Amino acid sequence: MSSTATPAIRVRDLRKVFTVTRRRAGLRGALRSLVAPVRSEVVALAGIDLDMEPGERLALIGPNGAGKSTAIKILTGILQPTSGACEVLGLVPWRQRETLARRVGTVFGQRPQLWYHLPAIETLRLLAAVHDIDRREAERRIGELAGAFELGDLLDVPVRKLSLGQRMRCEVAASLVHRPRLLLLDEPSIGLDPVAKHRIRQMVLRASERDGVGVLVTSHDAGDIEALCRRVVILEHGRIVYRDELQNLKRSYLSSKRVEVHFARPVTLDRLPAGVRLERQDAISALLHVDTARASIDRVLAVLGRAGELADLVISEPTLEEVIRAVFTRGAPEPST
Amino acid sequence: MTALAPARKYVAISRIQVRAALAYPLDAVGRAIAIVLFVVVFLHLWRATYQVTGRTVAGLGLRDVVWYFAIAEVVMLSQPRTAPLLAQAVKDGSIAYQLVRPYRFLLFHLSARVGDTLPVLALTLVAGAGAAWLSVGAPPDWRGVALLPVELPLAWLLNFLMSTSIGLLAFVAEDTTAFEWIYNKLLLVAGGVLVPLDFFPGWLRGTAALLPFASTTYAPAHLFVRPGGPGAIGLLALQLAWIAALGSVTWALYRHGLRRLVVNGG
Repeated sequence: MSSTATPAIRVRDLRKVFTVTRRRAGLRGALRSLVAPVRSEVVALAGIDLDMEPGERLALIGPNGAGKSTAIKILTGILQPTSGACEVLGLVPWRQRETLARRVGTVFGQRPQLWYHLPAIETLRLLAAVHDIDRREAERRIGELAGAFELGDLLDVPVRKLSLGQRMRCEVAASLVHRPRLLLLDEPSIGLDPVAKHRIRQMVLRASERDGVGVLVTSHDAGDIEALCRRVVILEHGRIVYRDELQNLKRSYLSSKRVEVHFARPVTLDRLPAGVRLERQDAISALLHVDTARASIDRVLAVLGRAGELADLVISEPTLEEVIRAVFTRGAPEPST
Repeated sequence: MTALAPARKYVAISRIQVRAALAYPLDAVGRAIAIVLFVVVFLHLWRATYQVTGRTVAGLGLRDVVWYFAIAEVVMLSQPRTAPLLAQAVKDGSIAYQLVRPYRFLLFHLSARVGDTLPVLALTLVAGAGAAWLSVGAPPDWRGVALLPVELPLAWLLNFLMSTSIGLLAFVAEDTTAFEWIYNKLLLVAGGVLVPLDFFPGWLRGTAALLPFASTTYAPAHLFVRPGGPGAIGLLALQLAWIAALGSVTWALYRHGLRRLVVNGG
């Protein structure tokens, strides 16, 4: 990718403040609120900087109310920021919304874009017409998407008769009809079963790798982030609290390893080194959490070896789910770069 | 690309809405049945009234009044209902999809509402005209019939602009139900649906006739039965003036609303 290529996203000191009217409790309070409403300001984004290269896949994560969806809505031009600068594919979203819409595909979680009573193919054809794609090219493109994503006969079934997973596959296909350069996915796998989630992720990955489509995904599902993205940005209370490679997040945040050990014969585990926590133990197996800053894996293995003959040993990293949960509850780490 | 190519997307939007409306035709059929019932009830009501008052009231006879009511009801029952749709889209957050497409937002809604009201308009017109014809005979003036293809779209457009303006309030207010309710009641009374404005006292008739509600329902119904009357040109001109005024209001509300939009969810 050329270093002079227009960035997919360039955001500087972006702020969004909503003014909300608060209702007082009770009937008297409601009447008072009519006469003298109480307004307060909610800072959804408190000045964020964000950069994304063309074709990159980036995750924007954070707890509920962190400002993820507000950011996505500003990036698509739906919302206007209170202040700050923002360019998506070289365009200012809220001023050039229509032009930007030709280059960006969007999937908003469980908010359907397909016409509920009609087969999905009708929506895909409509979206092609809306994007000024001629009929022949539209049919070719729809056929291509149906083939690539194995949609088969799903496109011909009224949307109301599709399962949620099937519908979401058609939703993603609909967002790709106009060959966008950037895909914005807001909670794309919410409510889906594991198989459907996997298929959606595969669809997005394929579109990204084959056509170089950039992907910005917000999700609470660690699986989405792990499967799709290399880089992660964490938002909390409208501020970016962490940005780095996904692997670095896992390495830098949780310095612990899980060690699951099976012995050939029953053993007694005692005198474990400091920094090792015994989470579970029975006669011949144990699960240990090792804080590698305090106890080296080498030392732990030596202790286990002295305790008895090892039959099996598994050392694993913390899951992303655990990392995200820890970040949300304990605060963000220093980035490694 | 031809000069008409940009219009293709809007035609496509109307077509998909027609197909969606036809996928569940019960709503249109229900409204067609309703208009027949309304015409029958009003026929009996006005017949009883005319037995007391004589052959004409304010220049309108029983046949005029029944046809007037049928046309006014066609306009009422085939109203484009942008307001609740917009309010719902803002509430459930699906407005986001409507705003991330390369089309003009207001033209999208115009095309979509054309699509979902066309089947209703066709069915209620056939049912309402059929009921009126069977009740009181042929339309009173064939020039009124010739004017209908102009008048019904003008009335529809006025309804669209009013309903869209109310719906756009949802961008800043949470609920627009009360505004819709008031608007519909004003159409029934000040728009002359229940009682033709011709029967109002002079000062009230003069005032009501100047309001947009009269241009929406009274004008098409009155021009259907009295197309050659002295005020016909004035009614048409006033309709066009209200379309221009409400069009500007709708555009201004949209621009203002977009700046203050709060999309729910997430």
